[in-house]
Amino acid sequence: MTKWRDSWTAYLMILPAVIYVLYLAFYPAVDAVYQSFYALHGGLTLYNYDFVNSIFGKSPIYNTFVVTASALALQFAVALILASLLSKPFKGRAAFSALFLIPFGVATIVTGVIFHNIFSTYGGYANSFLRVIGMHPVNWTGSYITSLFVLILADSWKNTPIVTLILLAGMTSISPNLYNQAMVDGAGIFQRFFRITLPNLKGFIAIALMIRGISEFNIFAMALLLYPYQLLTTMTYSLYDTVNAHPAYAGGTILLAFVLIFAAIIMTYRGKYGRGY
Amino acid sequence: MGEGTDMGNEFEGRWTRYYIYAGAAFFSFFVLLPLYVLIIIALGAPNQTVAAYYPALLPTKFTLSNFINAFRGTGILLESAFLKSLETAFIVAVIAILLGYHAAFGLSKLPFKISSLIIGVLFFSTMIPSITIAIPISETFLRLGLYDSSLGLALAQELLVLPLTIFILSGTLDAVPKQLEQQARVDGASFIRALYQVIFPLAVPGIVSAFLLSWLMSWDEFTFAIILSPVHPTLPILIYLDASARGNVLTAASFSLLVTIPVIVLTIILSKFIRAGYLTSGITG
Repeated sequence: MTKWRDSWTAYLMILPAVIYVLYLAFYPAVDAVYQSFYALHGGLTLYNYDFVNSIFGKSPIYNTFVVTASALALQFAVALILASLLSKPFKGRAAFSALFLIPFGVATIVTGVIFHNIFSTYGGYANSFLRVIGMHPVNWTGSYITSLFVLILADSWKNTPIVTLILLAGMTSISPNLYNQAMVDGAGIFQRFFRITLPNLKGFIAIALMIRGISEFNIFAMALLLYPYQLLTTMTYSLYDTVNAHPAYAGGTILLAFVLIFAAIIMTYRGKYGRGY
Repeated sequence: MGEGTDMGNEFEGRWTRYYIYAGAAFFSFFVLLPLYVLIIIALGAPNQTVAAYYPALLPTKFTLSNFINAFRGTGILLESAFLKSLETAFIVAVIAILLGYHAAFGLSKLPFKISSLIIGVLFFSTMIPSITIAIPISETFLRLGLYDSSLGLALAQELLVLPLTIFILSGTLDAVPKQLEQQARVDGASFIRALYQVIFPLAVPGIVSAFLLSWLMSWDEFTFAIILSPVHPTLPILIYLDASARGNVLTAASFSLLVTIPVIVLTIILSKFIRAGYLTSGITG
């Protein structure tokens, strides 16, 4: 009797949070997809997609992929090194862990402003430094490669701490005995890394990829400040118009589709390899 | 590894330590460098920073005039943006704890299959891009009169925070010994009393860290803020406008430093509490 009533109380307690998320996340998402197939005057149509395509072409999709892939590569490479460092016992580890976490707290837009000042073509600190070491200044926003470099550097500065945290949790979950055994067998540091650390981290890598990958597709504030080319987010924002929101809905729907495809791929990968922990 | 037991191990241990410190110093340099740039722009004399074609890497003249000018120029705007950010972040954190605590408690009482399904739905909601839903939400808020208000913005930002809060609090509640609640029930406490009088005090550390994390995320949030509250902006939007459209780099830098100081203090406090488990529990179940 009490048990039955308890479980109803439990459902009642969860209900507000679930309704909230359904009403303010799922419903608007479905609405955006639905509206993207309607024009301001008239019925079902692909007009909005044709419109978006005629203005921007395919380059926002391509740029979003390039930014996501390169930012993830940089963040995972650095985070793997940082997490290996922090997984070893040494004096001052707590202080370094706190220090490495600081960028996580710095607002995205503040990070954007800082890197904007570092990589200004005129009056930027990067060019000041290049001059001091006797090299030519670079027009950072002038080419595709340098703008990409600036954007992923800024983004990685801010977001590597989260990846590090997750990978560190994975590394501390690996039994030290595995390493001791490998050392007895004469495995070097690289062998230990590729044969023990990486395979045991697969599940955690999948989680970090999921969390970061999805935010990477959504990179927005920094791109507005630092990146002169269009991404799916900045494209959607530039289409946004309260009078006729339909083209922006089309942009938002394309973005949503890519995020969901990415999530599905990671989930499949995790399903295959991620059962180990 | 730890302490070596023979000579070879001792030797390797020492070298490993050197590498560790060299690596830690190397990365510390890159973590601190952008913050250093922010500080010298905000506090340096403009002719050595933003007004110079090649700004000084080690400026020699410092001034508070950037701050004073920033406040004088946009005093009212800044004040209203600051209050709006503060108010919004506070509402977000309070709602997160109110909804999150109850939901986490309810989830802990349900069979694993059902609770993981609900957690899956919550996690899925965090995948939906903010900009995709911000636009339909803005239309709804225009109708409801919530557009450009702190409450409306808070309700939207809550979406980013609520699932995370539920994960954190679920983790916290899992750590509370089950016997305690059962004992209270045996002693005649109701479900509700067990929730508020027995469990709550034990969950306070998790609640505090969830509150601070929610606060922090709202304080930083940009996408919903720029779409749902463009007329009376929050601090991040004000900084964006100064740095881009208005071209007040010094004002943007001063405000940035202002926004960053409390947040760095909070992050260092939180560094003891932020664990990857919070971020991953939703997926690992």
